[in-house]
Amino acid sequence: MTTNTKMTHIRWPFLILVAGTIATLGTAQTPRDPGAEQTGDDKPIVVPFELLRSRHMAVQVKVNGKGPYRLIFDTGAPTNLINNKLAKEAGVLKKDEKPAIPLFGMGGAKVLDSLEISGAKLEKVPVMVMDHPTVTAISKALGPIDGLVGFPFFARYKTTVDYQKRELTFVPNGYQPADPLKGLMEKLSRGSGKQPAAVVGPAALWGFTVDEAKDDDDEAGVTVTSVLAGSAAAEGGLKPGDRLLTIDGRWTDTLADTLRATSLVKPGRTVEVVVRRDGKEVKLTVTPVKGF
Amino acid sequence: MVALAGWALSSQAAPPEQQREPQKYEIPYRLTDTQHVLVRAKLNGKGPFNLILDTGAPAVFITKNVAKKAGVKLDDKGWGTFERFELEGGAVLEKVKTRVEDLVQIDGMNGLGLAGVELHGVIGYNVLARFRIEYDFRADKLTFQSLKGFDPPAPERIEAKGGDDIQTMGPMIKMLAALSGIKPNFEVTPRGFVGIEVDDTEGKLVVKKVLPDSPAQKAGIRPGDMIESVKAMKVKNSPELLGVLEKLGVGTSVKFTVGRDGKSEDIVVELGKGL
Repeated sequence: MTTNTKMTHIRWPFLILVAGTIATLGTAQTPRDPGAEQTGDDKPIVVPFELLRSRHMAVQVKVNGKGPYRLIFDTGAPTNLINNKLAKEAGVLKKDEKPAIPLFGMGGAKVLDSLEISGAKLEKVPVMVMDHPTVTAISKALGPIDGLVGFPFFARYKTTVDYQKRELTFVPNGYQPADPLKGLMEKLSRGSGKQPAAVVGPAALWGFTVDEAKDDDDEAGVTVTSVLAGSAAAEGGLKPGDRLLTIDGRWTDTLADTLRATSLVKPGRTVEVVVRRDGKEVKLTVTPVKGF
Repeated sequence: MVALAGWALSSQAAPPEQQREPQKYEIPYRLTDTQHVLVRAKLNGKGPFNLILDTGAPAVFITKNVAKKAGVKLDDKGWGTFERFELEGGAVLEKVKTRVEDLVQIDGMNGLGLAGVELHGVIGYNVLARFRIEYDFRADKLTFQSLKGFDPPAPERIEAKGGDDIQTMGPMIKMLAALSGIKPNFEVTPRGFVGIEVDDTEGKLVVKKVLPDSPAQKAGIRPGDMIESVKAMKVKNSPELLGVLEKLGVGTSVKFTVGRDGKSEDIVVELGKGL
């Protein structure tokens, strides 16, 4: 009970803090508006970017129709982020609204009516309000930067980044990002103590086993210990003793790796499996079947 | 993640761009629970390590621990060089500069297990700029196209007061992580193996094949058996069967109820090892 009360007390500020730090996770209630980005055609939208001396990419962004503002395009930001100044100018925060927690002016998770980069326009876009110290620092050195464009924006396009041409290309792809806050809340509400290991299995039936000893050796791959007769693995030519190097381009250095790689191969899909056999690399193809 | 780091232009150690034909790589990735784009890399042959693709970082950043494992020597400013930087999917770079630093963002996520996977660092501009990268999260791989005749200009050191202020949150995050009592577990354990191929036909789930020497074969499941319920839960198709088996580990005893010759039979299978 004491623990619970404590958790409840610390949870919200704690969440904002964690979210802000990671810059960030606070995309509360990610709105679902699948039609928003469909402008009627799927023509690529080419956006030039400015390569700052710090080697960040700056783009011109309209927020709620205001601007353009200069924001950094950041594939490592799990949410979009704007500073308090922009938030007030674009009507995201009221003129006299105080930050939710005083540190770095964190105003918490908000939703923008629109976010637009040269014609790539989304509506109902999650954003975090925060005066991120690194952004502020860059801003002071290299001219105004008012925030970050992150995952919830670029995930909704097939996005190409080309530093040689200094261009971003966006093509709407219909992808709907999940709400990271949901998973975060789940994690924090699991409470204290050691979490259980994740159970992972293949998405289809292969019919082989690998050595489960955790090898700390640097040799690539994992050894195939058995191949069941008549299985998909046997039909594909896998043999006991093979050193399994990759499945569908993914490294298989451990049992865990092998589980993860096969968890992504649906039944009936033919994938390349690379093994080392008698000192030579051999490319096999395996089509795992529906089964368990 | 947005970070700062620069090196003087004169001290740039990047090798001249190799003038070969542009090559295309399919780079496997996964999205972490925190919506970071994660790829794996072997650094000086060690690893694989889990790294976030981050245009908000001017360079590769790795933790001190990883630097040690990969045998990277540091200069007095906290920079090192990877002789070999290999991305899962086949792209290999040589002489890659890296910043060695335990970033609060990475520490914070690892301390609470927020990403669902242990993070070892980020891949920033000095590697990302050498490829044209296509991100499309409907697919399970990213496309990296090497750029011909392009040597990305090095990040410059800029006078930026407060650029590291975010790192001051480190102790606070650590304290909060301790308060929450959460101990993340990055281990993976295998789902138990049955050894049956199944067929979904006309709303029925039928055993098509039983692999020899599999747990199913040892327990007596036969081809043609219709799977009615598992663990007393009715299953009509393979997704429902997966729903029952999903979290069950090796060694678990599972009761299958199958329809055979017009009768129902209970068969207990002890889940084994295998894929």
